[in-house]
Amino acid sequence: MRILVLNWRDLAHPAAGGAEVYTEQVLRRWVREGHDVTLFAAAVPGRRAVENVDGYTVVRGGNRYDVYREARVWWRRHGRGRFDVVIDETNTVPFHALEWVDDGARTIALVHQTCEEIWHVNAPFPADLLGRYVLEPNWLRRLGHGPILAVSESTRDALARFGAHDVHVVPEGYEPPPLPAHPAKEERPTAVFCGRMVGYKRPLDVMRAVVQARREVPDLRVWMIGGGPDLERLRAIAPPGVEFLGRVSEEVKHDRMARAHVHLATSVREGWGLVVSEAAALGTPTIAYDVPGLRDSTRAAGGVVVPPHPDALARWLVELLPRWQGGIPPVPYGGAHSWDEVAKTLFHAVDEHARIPHGH
Amino acid sequence: MRVSFVVPTRNSARTLDACLGSLRAQTHEDVEIVVVDNASSDGTDRIARRYADKFADRGPERSAQRNHGMRIGSGDVVVFIDSDMVLEPHLAHSIVDAFRREPDVDALVIPERSFGDGFLVRCRVMEKDLYVGDPGVEAPRAFRRDVIEALGGWNEELTAAEDWDLADRTAASGARVGRVNAWIWHDEGHIALRTTFRKKRYYGRWIDRYMRMQKGRATRKFTRTALLRDPLRLIRHPVLTAGMVTLKATEAAGLVLGIRDARKAGQP
Repeated sequence: MRILVLNWRDLAHPAAGGAEVYTEQVLRRWVREGHDVTLFAAAVPGRRAVENVDGYTVVRGGNRYDVYREARVWWRRHGRGRFDVVIDETNTVPFHALEWVDDGARTIALVHQTCEEIWHVNAPFPADLLGRYVLEPNWLRRLGHGPILAVSESTRDALARFGAHDVHVVPEGYEPPPLPAHPAKEERPTAVFCGRMVGYKRPLDVMRAVVQARREVPDLRVWMIGGGPDLERLRAIAPPGVEFLGRVSEEVKHDRMARAHVHLATSVREGWGLVVSEAAALGTPTIAYDVPGLRDSTRAAGGVVVPPHPDALARWLVELLPRWQGGIPPVPYGGAHSWDEVAKTLFHAVDEHARIPHGH
Repeated sequence: MRVSFVVPTRNSARTLDACLGSLRAQTHEDVEIVVVDNASSDGTDRIARRYADKFADRGPERSAQRNHGMRIGSGDVVVFIDSDMVLEPHLAHSIVDAFRREPDVDALVIPERSFGDGFLVRCRVMEKDLYVGDPGVEAPRAFRRDVIEALGGWNEELTAAEDWDLADRTAASGARVGRVNAWIWHDEGHIALRTTFRKKRYYGRWIDRYMRMQKGRATRKFTRTALLRDPLRLIRHPVLTAGMVTLKATEAAGLVLGIRDARKAGQP
């Protein structure tokens, strides 16, 4: 099959994240299966406009804001008639392929997560209100006119609130890296937080919870792993028991995650919460806020969700630490799925649910 | 000592997973989960079956569901939990501990705190905080089996105010009520004034029936003196206080209209 994937970033983009890893793992497997795959993404300084990556073609054009228009222009000039299916991979802003793919090709959207509350964290007032209450509902309503694939039950629920009902859940993938040796758990009760130090990950909630929990478990400590704009500010106010490691290599990160007794996740919302799967694959259970995405990955990984409040996190941490002193047996794929399985399932879902847009 | 958690549900899919998950994660070993659904259509039964030791479908209303759950459960202690509650992991342990330590205590109050999204939920959090320790508002949720059986369970004539009714009968029977030092987290979701008003108006009809049963003794339940117990706190949070007043006024208006509806119709 000839497949065009639209995503605002590719893996070469400096800000590439979980969605880009997902795309790249799937696409290179589709190519191996004999499909003809093209990915359209925003331009990356120093990278060519057309490049072959792992057997699929990456076409780059536009920046973070006009990549959506550029995709459409490219389609008119070069894309029309060359593809059987177009996948609109939506990171907050959809490409709206179903409104301009007009050559009889089928379209489908792939949504990792909705933005909603994160608008308030990522955009200044009053742009956040405009985004959350005007733009995003409008985008998602339009997207809902066609079929959609979502990577978690939570995302499907969220899309349903915006009126999108033709939504099917596809699995999230995670493959644990080979660890040279499985490190032993720490002697001292240790929690780990792993994420960018930004508002919507709520690292401050972790700090508050740990301070509170230390009243009952005085030698408790937490490793805060990750860079980000708030790192220095948080490091400056770090209370006893809270250690900031900053941005570290993958090896160091996995070593620390494996040595900790419990992993804490406090985001406002996630698409899936891959970091939970990562921890579970390393034998470290998660206590997470009961929010969309984190609740999917945490349940799949056998962890525990709590009301999103530092008091609750502290309470559960104190109660559950003794049970997890020796860690848990590593969970296969951390409760997610192998990339081979994801690629296969996603392909079948695309083939089964993609439709020729109305009006064309 | 086995603890039976009885959870009545009706289209409770939004909150049920967190509720039952917290019951399953209790640190006390001997815990039984009994879910009694009432013809849900939103997948509640699918979630319930994942966690429950016993599952039943029974109507017509909450009191009947709870009584049925009490009957099919096998615990020495019966705890009535709503589907929008999340329990701290040591709660069952604290209940067992309290009953063991004080053999003459028959029932236990479990303190509650609210959580959820938005401004009105923050007002509700403050309101609930002010109620903690107020016997006029708090009602026992955990009972020794012989005690709740002797009381005859929940009043199936009532769909609202049934918790006050049970608390009244517990007190009247001379049973001793204690409390535990572990919390129930109550998921308020998102509070909208219009929905609150409608719900209270519906409850108001039942409260009329409750008041007739009580022959006037129950009026103390409607005056929330606890809200004024800590005036400094109210002054420190003027915006929350204003929100709380609005919320309580809306609820009161709903209740009054509901009671009027009931008197007009003669029956709930």
